[in-house]
Amino acid sequence: MTATTVSAARQSSPGWLKNLRTLVSGQEGALTLSLVLLVIVVGTANPRFLAQQNISDILLNSSYIAVAAIGMSAVIISGNIDISVGAMIGVLATISGQLSIVPGMPIWISWLVPLIVGPLIGAVTGFLVAYLRIPSIVVSLGMMSILKGGLILATGGVWIYNMPPEYKLAQQSFLGLPVPVYFMLVLTILAALWMRYSPSGRAIYAVGGNKEAALLSGISSRTVLMRVFMFNGLMVGISSVLFATQFSSIQSTVPNGLELTIITSAVVGGVSILGGTGTVIGATLATILLRAIGNGMIFINVSAYWLQAVQGTLILVTVLIDLLRRRRQAAQIRG
Amino acid sequence: MAVTERSSQLTKQSNPIVSRLRAVVLSKEGILFLIMIAAMFILSLLTDKFLTTNNLLNQLRLVTEIGLMALPMTFIIITGGIDLSVGSIFGLSAIVMGFLWQDSGWPLELAIIMCIVVGTIAGFINGLFIVRVGVPPLIMTLATLALYRGMALGVSEARSARGFPDWFFDLGQRQFLGIPSQLWILLIAAIMVGIILARTPFGRGIYAMGNNELAARFSGIPVRLYKLVIYTFSGFMAGLAGYIFTSRISTTRADMGTGLELDVIAAVVLGGTSINGGSGSIVGTMIGLILIQLLKNGLLLGGVKGDATIVIIGAILILAILINNLVQRRTGGD
Amino acid sequence: MGATLELEGINKQFPGVKALDNVRFDMAAGEVHALLGENGAGKSTLIKIISGVYRPDGGTIRLDGETVLFNTPREAQQRGIATIYQELSLYPELTVAENIFMGHAPRRKVGPVDVLDWKAANTKAQEILTSLHIHTLDVRRKVGTLTVGNRQRVEIAKALSLNARILIMDEPTAALTEADVEQLFSIVRLLRERGVGIIYISHRLHEVFELADRVTVLRDGQYVGTKLVSETSENDLVSMMVGRTIDNLFPKLDTEIGKPVLEVRNLYRRPMTRGVSFQLRAGEIVGLAGLVGAGRSEVAQVIFGINPAESGEILIDGQPVTIKHPGQAMNHGIAYVPEDRGTQGLVRQMRIRENVSMSVLRAIRAGIFINRREERSLATGMIKQLNIRAYSAEQVVNKLSGGNQQKVVVGKWLASKPRILIMDEPTRGIDVGAKAEIHRLMSELAKEGLAVLMISSELPEILGMSDRILVMRGGQVVAEYSRAEATQERIAAAMMSETAGNGAPESETVMIDESETA
Repeated sequence: MTATTVSAARQSSPGWLKNLRTLVSGQEGALTLSLVLLVIVVGTANPRFLAQQNISDILLNSSYIAVAAIGMSAVIISGNIDISVGAMIGVLATISGQLSIVPGMPIWISWLVPLIVGPLIGAVTGFLVAYLRIPSIVVSLGMMSILKGGLILATGGVWIYNMPPEYKLAQQSFLGLPVPVYFMLVLTILAALWMRYSPSGRAIYAVGGNKEAALLSGISSRTVLMRVFMFNGLMVGISSVLFATQFSSIQSTVPNGLELTIITSAVVGGVSILGGTGTVIGATLATILLRAIGNGMIFINVSAYWLQAVQGTLILVTVLIDLLRRRRQAAQIRG
Repeated sequence: MAVTERSSQLTKQSNPIVSRLRAVVLSKEGILFLIMIAAMFILSLLTDKFLTTNNLLNQLRLVTEIGLMALPMTFIIITGGIDLSVGSIFGLSAIVMGFLWQDSGWPLELAIIMCIVVGTIAGFINGLFIVRVGVPPLIMTLATLALYRGMALGVSEARSARGFPDWFFDLGQRQFLGIPSQLWILLIAAIMVGIILARTPFGRGIYAMGNNELAARFSGIPVRLYKLVIYTFSGFMAGLAGYIFTSRISTTRADMGTGLELDVIAAVVLGGTSINGGSGSIVGTMIGLILIQLLKNGLLLGGVKGDATIVIIGAILILAILINNLVQRRTGGD
Repeated sequence: MGATLELEGINKQFPGVKALDNVRFDMAAGEVHALLGENGAGKSTLIKIISGVYRPDGGTIRLDGETVLFNTPREAQQRGIATIYQELSLYPELTVAENIFMGHAPRRKVGPVDVLDWKAANTKAQEILTSLHIHTLDVRRKVGTLTVGNRQRVEIAKALSLNARILIMDEPTAALTEADVEQLFSIVRLLRERGVGIIYISHRLHEVFELADRVTVLRDGQYVGTKLVSETSENDLVSMMVGRTIDNLFPKLDTEIGKPVLEVRNLYRRPMTRGVSFQLRAGEIVGLAGLVGAGRSEVAQVIFGINPAESGEILIDGQPVTIKHPGQAMNHGIAYVPEDRGTQGLVRQMRIRENVSMSVLRAIRAGIFINRREERSLATGMIKQLNIRAYSAEQVVNKLSGGNQQKVVVGKWLASKPRILIMDEPTRGIDVGAKAEIHRLMSELAKEGLAVLMISSELPEILGMSDRILVMRGGQVVAEYSRAEATQERIAAAMMSETAGNGAPESETVMIDESETA
């Protein structure tokens, strides 16, 4: 009952104020605020944190995770999860790296192949989830083992060196920022627009929020889920290219715990693990924030050994603040 | 409606013993058991080193830690929750034990107790936040996965603790009554926990919560208390497992048990516990656990390269759930 | 824009069950045609066939005289048939406008790309709502924050956005407050004037008489008959539905009213419980009336310890007690049959046996274990006592009809041998037969000395069953009537007066000036 009063109050305030309020009270707003706060605090304590090189490093190191987190956000919003993304990045990065050192092979092929193989792996996962109705956590757990084992089996975990310099996309800069940063920004914006303004994007929220209802309004959850997992595969493919081209060598194994970093980014970014809500912008902001926290700790002389503990605490704090904020909002609705 | 009619007709037609047997065989655990027997048969054809008492017991020794953590994980997943932090708790408890003894000069006995206490406290903290603050389990344990591992790193400063006295290895490396010592602990724990889940009001409450938490609360089941208990229990078992593992491999490092949570969850899920909550059993979890390990070992002995075994296990995990889904759907089970 | 619909010789077979057997149904443009029948009579199957969810095994469907066959709900929607389901099918996280236009939102071109035009969607959504005389609903609000009544309006708007010519409403009033029901009725009449045909399913007969032009009755999957509402009576319809006459829907027995067993004094739990005081005596049925949102269920849940009281006193047999969680309430002999049996009352995936024993698990222990034999005999006893139609105590609750599910909830609480029984909407959404049975049981329990507090949104039920009636509004008890002095008008007035001033726009239309008599 009081809800109507609240909305009436909302209506009466001017438009720009309302927009500002929704922005700040939203997850994106909270993340931006935390980011600004962090920059101020750490930057005051140690101005070297604000050096252009360092900022650019933070963004560079966020890029491939943020891109993967975009795909993960879509998966989680659809009410699923994909634990195999870390293994996928490992496999795709290795494929890409191997292709780049094949003599005579055009470089663009080594960039392109992961973007094809990624969606194909996604399609397999999606098929098992959507059509054979196996819970996604089980499918991706299995997929993770398969990819992990398959990779080591095929390559023996060797290091790949001597990639041609023109292969190293992520080491290029444009207007002072590393190329992957542009990938991160552009993909985030495109994905946000897709999920907000296109019917196929909105359908993801529908399926994650209320599968039954989605069916009744003529949305096939199977098609949507297939699309979501293939989209995730594509994002992981791009992420793996950014990852592979960032370093001077690639180890053909699976980076440890990468999937958890990606899931954490999506979740801290406000994607509800129960499905149905969240945005990719939040996920990208969260990725940058988490990176900045990790990086900032070094600048205020937190012992390297305690870095992860502090980071863990901060994740927990972020989650708690968000939770309390949501609860307050819910209380407002109830009156 | 329709299904009710049909299954009631089925039960009416066949005689009670046959239908009972049918129910057992076609249950999730029954099917999994058949898969396990089939796998063992095939593996024993590949190599005669596989089906020996010694080998089998030794393999079970290797999975004791995962098995212990899989017990509370079964409870947790049945309630619809998850605990991703067990691997980190495992590492943290073992590190605390090692360094209390090695650096702080505590008696080893006391350090062992602290190992379990630390695990229990870590689990209790998970439970407390989940119950009191209402943090979703996945998010809470995702955060403490990082936090507890970070604490282990901080405490150890990337060093390892080693050089434990000989008696310390009794549990992890020796036998008791012809069976690996730690296997006794798993055996007794599994039986006790299995009975608790299947037969007590507590166990019934766990299932009720997993299917409909609100209705369970409205029926007077102390939902929050039960949750607190199972997450604390999960920490306790992770601590215990950390101790056993250290005793088995003689040393402890901060990165010990990284990724272990996924092995634990895989055993539980393969064992037929629904990841959405509401159903599952300890018997299933134990079969899932053993199946994974025997496959790993049998394939290895059969000459399959070490890393290919992981591939096969991944495939088996998906396949087993798929088969079970199909059978359950056809027999009208949920 | 009106459409005519004819169904003839419709058959539908599910494994083991003939759901529909040679059923016919027809409707004219701009007609409100009620569909009646007990649960399991085949109403749901029939509307699912009309709306394209199921395909019939046999028979013909003609729309505007043309034979049609729908393979998916979408095909039916495209031909102008829309359904408003009992379980509302909205997305709580999306806005009103997004929900209305889910799947067919207006598009606009941005360069070469076709994107959804939310601005246009908002405007159009607002237009549709305005055309239904709904002015207080912000189309940018998330649906999850709306009241049930408003959500339903969104559903109706969604149907109209699809140019629905035939609207199927499955128990639209089941979860509505009286005020919302009034507004729904005026919307239905508005639509009828516009030529929209409405298939109206309800268990509440008086609604049929108030709203419908014709009524068709189904029983056990068979067509019983179609009548003009003006030429039939409630008794006629009931006997058509159940195949026999129900002599008394409210079999209230006279009882010896004893000492107060439960008393609450100045109970507070904000926002919905504000200073509630009343007494409940042994052998007495007290009806608790009020609009949805008046705080009735909230008070019950405070007493039962689900949301414990912030202040105030609860006395059992005159002794003050502390109730912080349901377990304590149960120790004091309180039982609570909740409002929503699906989410609060039952674990539907579990068996009857397991549900019935859930309230007494500690009492039927042998050592630390559940005594299986005792558990089974308890459940079989309840099945017998409450006449639950199930083939055994091992049956999964999900597969029972609504009425039988409700009896399982009641059975669970009778198993705890309560002295105080709180029943929250005990007969919502169940068929007439089961309803009469639950009423009889309630009456018998009171006769045996139980104190019963019955929360109900159906005034006939309140009037028919209660010894005494309390009316709540805004979290407070605002009126009390004895059985003798209570009338529908008095209670309704007490329920609704002043609510408009509290900022509930829904109730503006039903302002009734009435002096409060206590």
